[in-house]
Amino acid sequence: MIALRRACFLLSLTAAILLLSACGGGGAPPEGQPAATQAAVPVVLRVGMSGSPDSLNPGAAYLTEATDVFELVYSTLIDMDFAGNYIPDLAESWSVSDDGLQWTFKLAPDAKFSDGTPVTAEDVAFTLLAYRDWGDFGYMSGYAAHFADVQAADEHTVVVTLDTPIGNMESQVLFCYILPKHIWEAYAGDVEAALGFTNDPMVGSGPFHLVEYKQGEFYRLEAVKDHYGRPPVIDEVVFQTYANQDALVQALRAGEVDMITELPSTVVPSLRTEADITVAVGTSRGLRDYIFNLSNPETCPVDAGGVCSGHPALRDVVVRRAMAHAIDKQQVIDIAELGLAQPGLGLVPAALGKFYASELEDYAFDIPLANKMLDEAGYLDTDGDGIRECPAGVDCGGRQLDIIMQIPSDIGSGPREAELLSGWWSQIGIKMTPQVLEGDTVTANCCPAFDYDMLIWGWTSDPDPSFILSILNSEEISTGMSETGYSNPEYDRLFAEQTVELDDARRIEIVHEMQRLMLDDLPYIIPYYQQEIQAFRSDRFTGWPVPAEGSNNILYLQDPVSLTVVRPVQ
Amino acid sequence: MARRDYLLKRAAWSLLTILFVLVLNFFLFRILPGDPTTSIAKDPRLTAETRAGLARRFGLDKPLVLNLQGGNPFDTQFFAYFGRLAHGDLGISFNFNRPVRDLLGERLGNTVLLVLGGQILAIVLGISLGLLSAWKNRTPFDTGAITFSLTAWSLPTFWLGILLLIIGSTYFGLPTAGKQTIGMSSASSLAQAADIGRHLLLPTLTFTIVLLGEYMLVMRSSVLEILSEDYILTAKAKGLSHVQILRHHALQNAMLPIVTLIALNLGFTVAGAIQVETVFSWPGVGSLIFEAVRRQDYPVLQGAFLLIAVSVILANLAADLLYGALDPRIKAP
Repeated sequence: MIALRRACFLLSLTAAILLLSACGGGGAPPEGQPAATQAAVPVVLRVGMSGSPDSLNPGAAYLTEATDVFELVYSTLIDMDFAGNYIPDLAESWSVSDDGLQWTFKLAPDAKFSDGTPVTAEDVAFTLLAYRDWGDFGYMSGYAAHFADVQAADEHTVVVTLDTPIGNMESQVLFCYILPKHIWEAYAGDVEAALGFTNDPMVGSGPFHLVEYKQGEFYRLEAVKDHYGRPPVIDEVVFQTYANQDALVQALRAGEVDMITELPSTVVPSLRTEADITVAVGTSRGLRDYIFNLSNPETCPVDAGGVCSGHPALRDVVVRRAMAHAIDKQQVIDIAELGLAQPGLGLVPAALGKFYASELEDYAFDIPLANKMLDEAGYLDTDGDGIRECPAGVDCGGRQLDIIMQIPSDIGSGPREAELLSGWWSQIGIKMTPQVLEGDTVTANCCPAFDYDMLIWGWTSDPDPSFILSILNSEEISTGMSETGYSNPEYDRLFAEQTVELDDARRIEIVHEMQRLMLDDLPYIIPYYQQEIQAFRSDRFTGWPVPAEGSNNILYLQDPVSLTVVRPVQ
Repeated sequence: MARRDYLLKRAAWSLLTILFVLVLNFFLFRILPGDPTTSIAKDPRLTAETRAGLARRFGLDKPLVLNLQGGNPFDTQFFAYFGRLAHGDLGISFNFNRPVRDLLGERLGNTVLLVLGGQILAIVLGISLGLLSAWKNRTPFDTGAITFSLTAWSLPTFWLGILLLIIGSTYFGLPTAGKQTIGMSSASSLAQAADIGRHLLLPTLTFTIVLLGEYMLVMRSSVLEILSEDYILTAKAKGLSHVQILRHHALQNAMLPIVTLIALNLGFTVAGAIQVETVFSWPGVGSLIFEAVRRQDYPVLQGAFLLIAVSVILANLAADLLYGALDPRIKAP
């Protein structure tokens, strides 16, 4: 009885506390007045996101949520706008010597770190060399690999000497976050120590300062009002992590957040009917791909564990082209992505602007033509079971045109896409069976094992096409980077040529030519380029750089390009 | 003497179980294909050196159990894991880049705050409802209470959570995520507590509703059983009032199955409510486990599973001991 009485007391106490806090709680009321009308109250933009940064240390972080913080808190020499143009950041201007080996960057003279120290050429030189010398510093090391030397010519001039001309030098410094030498020099030459540094508080020279950080929960950034390049209009921005997307969308509806960085495409129609919410759609650099196993006994990387068990008929380009003709990409988009994607062409997504070969013509959806192509190539259904057999000249080891498509389980739309493909391909006498597997199993089967017929997967490109193009290089077959086993000496030659080509127009020409080759040889079918979908409350902030209808601009509203220009609704 | 032997035996079994869990824990996660480096290693923007460094830093370059390639045969992931455990070191989280011990410690407090509140509310409400319902057996109140409890028990937690979240945030202005309003860290401690309370309200309510049904139903059937016993009839014949019978004769005996249930449930408290924490983005152990599964963060999973196993085993031990005190029939052998 005593126990029960005590329990009753506890119950009423708990209830009282909960009630009290429910009534007395402060918080930001959704119907609150626009903050801008009161000068004393800081203008705070609240962003809701699904993930959270894995680390504040640029060398130890691998998630895009971490990159979002770095972009806001650190300067880079050069930045990129949403149309894909390089724009000045810490470097006010830059030039290259005729031989392409010496790059000179002129720095903004009044740049300061958040601790008040001026940003000098010494900091830049230290950072770029540290990234190179640490060797194992996350993504940073790859970008600095070709820097032979970096010198501070004077306080505001940096000269980078390369060991070989680089055609896409601007893109190499795009993500090289400039670190304060006076803090990081303690770790010079010791990558383990540098990686172990928590980097909290973060000292950077970007348009925002990190003032509060709770890992896995939220972080708060304060605007740098006297920033050298682009002082933000708002005073503060907070990023709150939501562990589930339904709650994220509800937070926007209830006015708990002003912008959300992602949302499931299923809620787009209902969000569009809300008066005070704008759903923004823009291109992204992500793409979906259907991968053919092209590895053959000659190119098979046996030493690296190559099995190369792909269906031999898929090595025949006629079969691949016929399969491409038997795909209605728009229908894949409408069903798998609810219409929110762009038809794909090659590995270079439309979001890469001038690098995207829009002049190329895709394989039209034409099932009779596909059938005719297979008939003419000798793939006939001789036993009348609806599945074609290989012609005498092609050794398929007794297999009919009966293939398996492996799908990593984390690609949610994969099974639906495979079902569509299977339906179309059965009309051209090709049987395809989808097989959903755990992601790491697919990785193990993929490459360099080449133990599959076809795969569904995807990539996200850099702003510069060099990296996405590199995965089709012959030399990547044994490294596991090449998923297809595609090998074409002409492609390899063009790739090498574009890496050192300094003339922008000529380099674009080469990149387009590579896409033509890719479309012709068809190691991949690219059904679509994904789109970025974000949403914001139009009754609270305005000035968001949302791409115009039909433009290929990317959408990334949490980028400094966007967060420095948004302003509260008056 | 006999009682001490019994206790020692129970404790020894508990220790052995924990040891078994430790070993199982290690292999369980390594049976899964791939490791955390495979997902990022596929990215060609990482240099080979970086990928190798990553594996080295997390000890994934070492052999699994025995080193047969020469050198120290015990220089393996398995023995490193036990070596670190002996020092109370649960390793470094792959995903958060921080010691698992700190991470779990930080999250455990939040989880206990949420789960304990929900448990206490559910226990008190469930037991009271069960008792009343048994007393008013076969009345409309009983039928109503059973219907409510069965419904509450069978509701999918995430669905109820999302529903309450939508209602709470739309009509009552309650927060949709997290433990506190950002920027509250400078406010007075009273204001901060109130703010945390507002954030706690919906998850606690969800948790209470889904747990309450079980307690109610178990309590009801237990009391009904007791009330049909002969000694209750005797008590009635002696002219005792209803309240006296319930208080002095029925309640304590009816509590026995509930004690087991509570002890087991409390043991799982540290696991948090994975679903509730995920729906409300509550920074507890449950949402940490959810995130760790998604990112194959072995050290965090190992640490969390160890924590859960130890608390369940301890709670069981406590239940065993409590039983002896509650039920005079159970004497130490």
